Amino acid sequence: MRDLSERALDAASAAGASYADCRVINSTVQRLTVKNGVVASVELFEDEGIGIRVIADGSWGFAGVDDLSPASIEETARHAVRIAKASSRVNRTPVRMAPAPALVGEYRTSVGRDPFAVSLDDKVDLLMRTDEAMSHLAQIRVRECSLEFVREIRHFASSEGARLDQTIIESGGGMDATATSDDEVQTRSFPNSFGRHQVCSGWEAIEAFDLPGNAGRIAEEAAALLTAAQCPAGSMTVILDATQAALQVHESCGHPTELDRVLGHEAAYAGTSFLTPDLLGTFRYGSEQVTITADSTSAPGLGTFGWDDEGVAAQRSVLVDRGMFTGYLSSRETAAVIGQVSNGCMRADGWSRLPIIRMTNINLEAGTSSLEEMIATTEHGVYLETNRSWSIDDRRLNFQFGTQNGWEIVDGKRVRLVRNPIYSGQTPEFWGSCDAVAGPAEWQMFGVANCGKGQPSQLMHVGHGAAPCRFQNVRVEPAR
Amino acid sequence: MSGGDDLLAMGDGALASLAHGEAEVVISDTRSELTRFAGNQIHQSVAERFRHVRVRLIDGGRTGVGEVRGHDGRAIERAFAAAEDSRRVTSESAVSPLPAQTPGDVDEPVAFAEATAAATPQGRAELVAIITDAAGAHGINAYGALSTSTTTTAIVTSAGLRRSATSTQASLVSVARGDDGGGYASRHSPDIDTLDVPGLAAEVVDTCERNQGATAIGPGDYEVILSPYAVTDMLEHLAWGGFSALAVQEHRSFMRIGEKLMSDMITIRDDARTHEIFAFPFDDEGVSTRPVTLIDRGVCSAVVYDTPTALLDGVTSTGHSLPQPNTWGPLPRHVAMDAGSTPWQEMVGSVSRGLYITRFWYVRDVHPLRTVITGMTREGTFLIENGNITRPVKDLRFTQSIVEALANVVQVSRERRLELGEGESGVLSPWLHIGRFSFTS
Repeated sequence: MRDLSERALDAASAAGASYADCRVINSTVQRLTVKNGVVASVELFEDEGIGIRVIADGSWGFAGVDDLSPASIEETARHAVRIAKASSRVNRTPVRMAPAPALVGEYRTSVGRDPFAVSLDDKVDLLMRTDEAMSHLAQIRVRECSLEFVREIRHFASSEGARLDQTIIESGGGMDATATSDDEVQTRSFPNSFGRHQVCSGWEAIEAFDLPGNAGRIAEEAAALLTAAQCPAGSMTVILDATQAALQVHESCGHPTELDRVLGHEAAYAGTSFLTPDLLGTFRYGSEQVTITADSTSAPGLGTFGWDDEGVAAQRSVLVDRGMFTGYLSSRETAAVIGQVSNGCMRADGWSRLPIIRMTNINLEAGTSSLEEMIATTEHGVYLETNRSWSIDDRRLNFQFGTQNGWEIVDGKRVRLVRNPIYSGQTPEFWGSCDAVAGPAEWQMFGVANCGKGQPSQLMHVGHGAAPCRFQNVRVEPAR
Repeated sequence: MSGGDDLLAMGDGALASLAHGEAEVVISDTRSELTRFAGNQIHQSVAERFRHVRVRLIDGGRTGVGEVRGHDGRAIERAFAAAEDSRRVTSESAVSPLPAQTPGDVDEPVAFAEATAAATPQGRAELVAIITDAAGAHGINAYGALSTSTTTTAIVTSAGLRRSATSTQASLVSVARGDDGGGYASRHSPDIDTLDVPGLAAEVVDTCERNQGATAIGPGDYEVILSPYAVTDMLEHLAWGGFSALAVQEHRSFMRIGEKLMSDMITIRDDARTHEIFAFPFDDEGVSTRPVTLIDRGVCSAVVYDTPTALLDGVTSTGHSLPQPNTWGPLPRHVAMDAGSTPWQEMVGSVSRGLYITRFWYVRDVHPLRTVITGMTREGTFLIENGNITRPVKDLRFTQSIVEALANVVQVSRERRLELGEGESGVLSPWLHIGRFSFTS
């Protein structure tokens, strides 16, 4: 890989680049899916290529190719420079990057058991046992469970002297049970929706999920939802389980603190942000209960690594400190605009994509309460579990989320299961109404493996640590 | 990039060494470039070039899949090896057979333009400058992306199927932002030379200038005019959740064949053979894609099939398969709503009080069986009073059943636009006048 990157950097420099970096990436993905008692697919995907990023004539250029022959790499580097020079035709402001040390090192995800060393037969067996455990109820029309394993070997080199090697390992799995009747369809998922829960870890993570041990319960919950009462409507107390709290953090804190959005780089697609630089350090984002961090060192989150994709070291920074808005997710270029240095959030979806600002592990820090205590001290409200629907405006203020499951709470007790719950609000008011976050014992790290952003589209794997949390005076209603 | 014949020859060569069982080899070469702009400057411009090889092996009642993205000479060999590893552990089950080529199969029509295939970073920058210059002249900022792509796809199977096609796509989207509001416009075509860039620039600047200083309006039910950008989102969600035979077989679809669920004015088709929607001759199994009338004057008429779902229902595939095997089912990727007879400006003129919606944003399913979706309006929500667009209003959240909205259609415009949905499939959409649409916050 080093030979390839040196060739790319030399070619870019010879073509006129004032700065260049490149990433040579080799990745392997295994995906196994069992649906309704049959191994629906076992897919094995290999991918290898190089992405070369340059600055020439004050503008960025980027080109990626999967042909790793010397001639191809040199031509791709020259093409990146041609692109940069063409961009300078419509560019008034030369690119300026905040300084960053040129680092050299190696990083590898800590794994107990390499998931690629576990046989495909054992993986299929686990999924078949999970499927079988979901299969005992007539109302369950669709059963689906899956595993995914990722190994990504990355080499980063820059014209400033950085030389970084990383091996990232991910393990993920999950299940969905879908129950149907003449007029209703209800799905329950475990450990999370979006197909699976994924972490930077080895096979031990899959064993800890205990998919077969939870499958029967998930099927029963899906069937029960078919005839459950509709969720009550009104302004009430809402308690989110840790998975939905993670999604709430992702959409209403992770995205609006991306500094490229704030500066308008994503205005035509993902949108902008209500967290403008004039609010930094002075804006009350949430209540005193709310502290949110960006932490690419908090294993086993999917945003855990040694260095980001422009060579900045993994680190922890505080985005919201006891309710006050205190920080952004940044890159070397965007940090320079607000007079800071990068906090290491440049990430790319493989070798063929330009690094852009992405979440790492965006964590709602643990509080001091517990789910049991929150329920016991709620007069009337709902406890909501597992995301089903999510939508938020382009500035990340007006949101409406739905969950798969709801429990109505009356006088400190869960009184009945309710279906089709949705809740909505405005981001600062919502987080401002947070009066309790559960403690470390109920805090978990979740993975979102489908975060979309950028043009061309990039899907990123990001992590969110979260715990159950409670909010007051939230608008709740059933989706009819 | 290699041509279709070259890729077919590679596939033939790979199949020649197949010792037993059946195999499908799909090879595609892609060259894709995109120039992105923000604040009237190009801030990101990228290019990628790659080969993708996908092998499906069927033997002993088991199916395996291997995929490799990479250009080295062993990519096909590695994909075969991965497919065999996969095949070995899958269940013995009712295998979906490889489709055979039929005598009428021809590898056309296909959306292709030499100008798009030959597009350069310099050429894209010149087109972007038309927009940024227009925005700058009005004291506002333009944002957006112009992409060009060329893909050659070849499919060969041991059942004798050999198909290949080379297609192109050019896509331009832009947002313009002033001090207190923005506008949106987009254009898409196989041919970059036919993109109406000055027209887009004028539209996005005009919408932005009219959408300054929006005032709040309360939630509730409104009569609406939806532009094709918004209609595209609704059609795409119907396609994902409802028009698939698998969704019907799994009781997840709103479609009840033979029942009238929408207005007489609503006819929705899928037609991959029309040059109006990025024509392409075959699906991911190599089956010729047939036109299907999905909704016929408001009546649920038909759904689309791939080979597995067709076998289950005892019919033939309509040619709407995604790569097999999969758990998602078939998908219509060339959806069009039939045009009406009214010019869209006249539709606005017929509304006494209502809203004109330029586009939706972040549209998600709330209850798929009932086709309830939610999302925000964005970059151009206007109040209509006495037949005239009078002022901009702040963006609203809607939560609305698509089927119910299409049951309440008052008029369909005679003009249509080719759009790209969130899933990047082509959708041909008119303006719609809908009697009642629910905004919730």
